[in-house]
Amino acid sequence: MFTFLLAPFHYDYMVTALWTSALIGGVCGLLSGFVTLKGWSLMGDALSHAVVPGVAIAYLLGLPFAVGAFTSGLLAAGAMAFVKMKTPVREDAVIGIVFTAFFALGLLLISLFPSRVDLKGIIFGNILGIATGDVVQVVIVSAVCLLVLALKWRDLMLFCFDPNQARALGLRVGALHVMLLLLLSATAVAALQAVGAMLVVAMLVTPGATAYLLTDRFSVMLRIGAALGALTSFFGAYLSYFLDGATGGCIVSLQTLGFVAALLFAPKHGVFASRRTLRRARAQEAAVP
Amino acid sequence: MPTRSCGPFSAQGTHRRAKFPLPVPTSFSPPLSLAAIDVAVTYPNGLSALRDASFRLDGGTICALVGVNGSGKSTLFKALMGFVTPTTGRVEIDGRPVREAQKQSWVAYVPQAEEVDWTFPVSVHDVVMMGRYGYMNFLRIASTADRAAVETSLRRVGMWDYRDRQIGELSGGQKKRVFVARALAQNGRVILLDEPFTGVDVGTEEAIVTLLRELRDEGRLILVSTHNLGSVPEFCDQVVLINRTVLAYGPTSEVFTAENLTRAFGGALRLFDLAQSTVNDHDGRSVTVLTDDERPLVLGKRGHLEYLDRTGREQLISDREEEQKGKS
Repeated sequence: MFTFLLAPFHYDYMVTALWTSALIGGVCGLLSGFVTLKGWSLMGDALSHAVVPGVAIAYLLGLPFAVGAFTSGLLAAGAMAFVKMKTPVREDAVIGIVFTAFFALGLLLISLFPSRVDLKGIIFGNILGIATGDVVQVVIVSAVCLLVLALKWRDLMLFCFDPNQARALGLRVGALHVMLLLLLSATAVAALQAVGAMLVVAMLVTPGATAYLLTDRFSVMLRIGAALGALTSFFGAYLSYFLDGATGGCIVSLQTLGFVAALLFAPKHGVFASRRTLRRARAQEAAVP
Repeated sequence: MPTRSCGPFSAQGTHRRAKFPLPVPTSFSPPLSLAAIDVAVTYPNGLSALRDASFRLDGGTICALVGVNGSGKSTLFKALMGFVTPTTGRVEIDGRPVREAQKQSWVAYVPQAEEVDWTFPVSVHDVVMMGRYGYMNFLRIASTADRAAVETSLRRVGMWDYRDRQIGELSGGQKKRVFVARALAQNGRVILLDEPFTGVDVGTEEAIVTLLRELRDEGRLILVSTHNLGSVPEFCDQVVLINRTVLAYGPTSEVFTAENLTRAFGGALRLFDLAQSTVNDHDGRSVTVLTDDERPLVLGKRGHLEYLDRTGREQLISDREEEQKGKS
């Protein structure tokens, strides 16, 4: 039995996939706290799709995929900011227009050069077959994100909670905005490898949303989010070995299970807890003549 | 046993002995001046919100910023805070640009309740600590002095016992007090409050006013944006009246005249003239009620209703007289 369960660890590619997934999941989970509270979930989805043409071009030119993806993501973010500033079109519509345009361009490029770019790998992720060079890129991106978050999470928290207070204290709110956007693009690029463009948004939202239901403290929420992201990604990759299914699907399904569990059983914000509180309040009311 | 007086909020809860000696509030710092000089703000869509707005205030005063919605009041407020840059003109705090004053943590801001995300997972203590960021290092790690300032401020507004509550679990008045405590912890020398009495119970309103007076006496400049006309003469020393520009500014008694208010509010003001009473005999004395927001409910002698529209109700006074005679 044990040999069966330990089987994945006999393969180098599986070991790499497991720890890389855990790393990516952890970083995304950490950032998801900011994304959910800032209301940037749609932005995360948009950026994860907008990196696709960059990845395609990078592979075509033989550049590191992270460079292409990152550039493409930033161009998309810039385009959204520009359209939003210049037109009265609503923000969600602007995001919808820009990210689909980028994604479409990516699909077109990939379909034009099918032999040189792996469409499935980009859309659905391919962590089990990740190349060593890509692992290095993921590690660098993750390390930079972790460092920035470790140094600046309190400023970013203030930016998310009360940007006016940040401004009143002379903090550079514009710089914090860009910093969070850069972190979002960077993690989206890293997560592309693990779960693919379609599911990156789950990695950037679900752990944070789950953690939000479990605590009322921001620092605790970040830790829970990171832990959830890392654990679900590790076990998702592990399970996908046995199920022989898509790794991204396994990871995100696990995250969703975690969210549903928190939704039902969270000590304070869960469905059952709310019902208990309501029942107790009613009982108290009934007790008072 | 309470070990120290806790100011206007001392009735709130019991207070434990402080773990470390609390620093005396760094009061009596030399008062700062705040000046708007020919401020004009035009938004990118071409809308001119404010033009030629000029006024000057010195520390040690409570000043109301009064104007209707759309008068450019909130735009001026934002310009004073440095949230919008004037298209022309400038704002100076102690003769320096706002940006420099911000870096000194001189400018503290108490936001409107609607501006705050009350579902955000932060505690009362966390929020007040946000007033201390300007005193912290690059990593924003709180020092003993920061913690002490947070404790002093929370005790001063009577919210220390609630320090671990998530901010959404407070009443309207308590929420407001937390943000006032943040301005205190910041030791702001210019404190701007945006509609501080909206959604606040009367007791808290009085306590906040008392606290603002204390802060004024410490030499701070308190600027209150409000549309609550009635509260202004009660606690504001000065008024800045706004309608697209600064119409008038100065001591409340001089600025808050019916003429100025009509200019500031135009037709947006309800006028309730009690010279003609429906329940009292007309004796030549006159009271006029001005309100911009809700219709006032006015009760006359013996709690009888006053009507704004008196036509057809002329016989009410004699009716009441008859009633009274019948009773006695």
